[in-house]
Amino acid sequence: MQNTNATTPQIHGSRDIIVCDNLEKHYSRGGETVRVLESIDLTLARGAFVALMGPSGSGKTTLLNLFAGIDRPTAGTLMVDGQDLTKLSRAQLAQWRATSVGYVFQLYHLVPVLTAYENVELPLYLHELSRAQRHERVSEALEAVGIADRHAHYPRQLSGGQEQRVAIARAIVTRPALLLADEPTGDLDRVAAASIMQLLSQLHSERGQTIVMVTHDPSTATHAQRLVRLDKGQLVEDVAVRS
Amino acid sequence: MSRAQSIMGMATLALRGMKRRPTRSALVLAGVAVAVFLFCTVDAMRSGVERATQKSAGETALIVYRQNRFCPFTSQLPQSYESTIAKIPGVASVTPVKIVVSNCRASLDVVTFRGVPPQEFAVTHSGSASAQDMQSWLSRGDSALIGRELAQRRRLKAGDRFTAAGVDAFVAGIIESDLPQDQSSAFVHLSFLQEQAKRGGTGGVVTQFDVRVSDPAQMDSVAQAIDERFAKDQSPTTTRAETAHVARAATDVIVLVGFAQALGIAALVAVFALVANAIVLSMRSREKEISVLQTLGFRGVHLATLVLLEALLLGGVGGMIGAGASYAAVSLARTAMTMEGVSIAIAPSFAIALIGVAIAIGLSVLAGIVPAIIAARQTIVAGFRS
Repeated sequence: MQNTNATTPQIHGSRDIIVCDNLEKHYSRGGETVRVLESIDLTLARGAFVALMGPSGSGKTTLLNLFAGIDRPTAGTLMVDGQDLTKLSRAQLAQWRATSVGYVFQLYHLVPVLTAYENVELPLYLHELSRAQRHERVSEALEAVGIADRHAHYPRQLSGGQEQRVAIARAIVTRPALLLADEPTGDLDRVAAASIMQLLSQLHSERGQTIVMVTHDPSTATHAQRLVRLDKGQLVEDVAVRS
Repeated sequence: MSRAQSIMGMATLALRGMKRRPTRSALVLAGVAVAVFLFCTVDAMRSGVERATQKSAGETALIVYRQNRFCPFTSQLPQSYESTIAKIPGVASVTPVKIVVSNCRASLDVVTFRGVPPQEFAVTHSGSASAQDMQSWLSRGDSALIGRELAQRRRLKAGDRFTAAGVDAFVAGIIESDLPQDQSSAFVHLSFLQEQAKRGGTGGVVTQFDVRVSDPAQMDSVAQAIDERFAKDQSPTTTRAETAHVARAATDVIVLVGFAQALGIAALVAVFALVANAIVLSMRSREKEISVLQTLGFRGVHLATLVLLEALLLGGVGGMIGAGASYAAVSLARTAMTMEGVSIAIAPSFAIALIGVAIAIGLSVLAGIVPAIIAARQTIVAGFRS
C-alpha cells in the first residue's frame, strides 16, 4: 500500500508521531486465522488531525488500539511518539500510555461512582503532581472542554454530550502527545456530535493537539485534515481533505 | 510515577466502589459484622474462662471443699476445721467461707453470697473498698460489700437493700477486685449468712475454706496434707488450687464455650466466602471499567491494589462494626457465667476487638487475592469485549 501523505500539515516541526511499517494484526478464531490488518505502512505527523474511516470490520478500531498500545501487532514495527511499542513490556506499555496517549471512547466509559472532576483527576494519580497541581490541571481541562460548571456532577447526571466532554477532558488532562478517539460522536445526537467535533477541532487548532479519530460518518471526517481509509484490513486511501 | 499517589487514586475508587452497589455492600458489611460480633463475644467468654482457670506460677490460693460435693448447698464443712488447717505447715492464712447462691445451675445472673469473718476480711481486702464503706460494713451485721459487676448488673449502690436466695442484705458499699469470683459476689458477715441459711446454726458449718500458702511451690504438698488430715474425719475434704477448683466447677461451661468458639471460627470462614463472592461479582461487572483504567495507564499492580483495598474495606468496616457492637454488648450486659457458686466474668476486651478486626481484614484480603490476580492479568481488549 502506498503512503500518500505528502500534503500532511506539519504543525510542530517535521518529526513524525506515528510510523508503522508492514503492520499486521491477526486473530485466531475457531482454529482459523483472521487477518484484521495486513501490511499497513503509515506515517502520521505530529500535530495532524487524522480521520480513520472504513466499513465495519475494516480494522480501523484495531489500528487505533495498536496506536494506543492497548493491543499488540502480530508483525511489523510501530513507532509512536518515538517509542517502538512492539518492544515494550506490558508494564512499560501501561506507563507509556499514562504519559503519551489520551483515549476517547465511543461510549465515554466514565467511572460512574466518581464525579466529573474525579474522573478527570483519575489519570493524574499516575503522575508526580501535588494536589494543587492536580487541581490546576483538572480545572484547566474541564475549562477547555466547557464543562467546568458541572465538575461536581456524576456521569448519570450528565447528558451524553456532556459525558463525552468529560471523557475528552480526562484524555487531555495528562497533556498527551497523541489524542485517539474511537467514534467519539457515535453515540450522540446531531447537535451534540457537532459540538464535540467543534471541541476536537478547537483542541487541534488552538493547542496543536495531534488527533487520530475513527469515524464512519463522512461529515465528522470533514473536521480532519487527513483521511485514511481502510477496507478488509488494508489501507486503501490516504488523502488530505483540508489544509 | 508516584506509587503513593496511584494507591491514593485506587483508594478513592475503592471507597466509592462501596457506593456502587449499596445494597450488596450493606449486606456484605452486615454479614462480616455479625460474624465478627459472634467471634468476639465468644472469645470474650473464652478469655474469661482462661483468666479464671489458667494456673499462674505465683498462685498461692487453695480452696478446701467437701469431698465429692459439687454445689455450695451440699458442701458442708465444720467451721472448727479452721484452726486445724491453720496449724498445717506452709499455711499462711485460712478464711472460712459460707456461700449461698440464688441458683446452683449454670446461669448468667447468679448472686453468690460469701460469708466471711468480718475482721479477717477487713484485713485481707483492705483497699478493695473505701474506708467509709468498709467501716459501714463492719458496723452492721446484715450489710454486704458487693462486687462491681454484680452492682452494675443489679443496679445496686451503697444504701440500697436487696434480696436473693432468701437472704436480705443492706448494701454497705462496692468492692473493687480483679478476681472474677469477687466481682459477682456479695460479701456478708459469716455469722449473718449462717443464720440466714439456717444450716447448722451460728458457728457451725461453712461451705469452704480459702487457704493461702506461704510458698507457691508448696501448693500441692499443703493441699495433700489438708486432705490427709481430714480423710478419716466425718467431713473429708478435697483441696485444689483456686484455678483448678474453678476449672472443675466450670467443666460444662468450658466444653460449651469451646463449642461456641468453633462456631465463631466457622463464622469467620463465612466472612472469607462472603467477601470473596462479593469481590468476584463486583469484578465481573466491572471488566470494562478495568480496561478503561488500564487504557489510562493503570498497571496490573494498581488494579490488584484496587481489588485488595475493596476487600480490605469490606473486612475492616464490617469487622469494626461487629467488634464494636460486641464490645458494647459485653460492656453493657456485664454478665458472668456462674455455676456451682463459681463465677467466670465475661469482660469486654479491647485486644479481642482488635484481633476480631484484624482477622476480618486478613481473611477479606485473602479472599481478594484471586480476584486481584485475575484483574491484574486481564487484557484490555478482552475487557472491552466482555
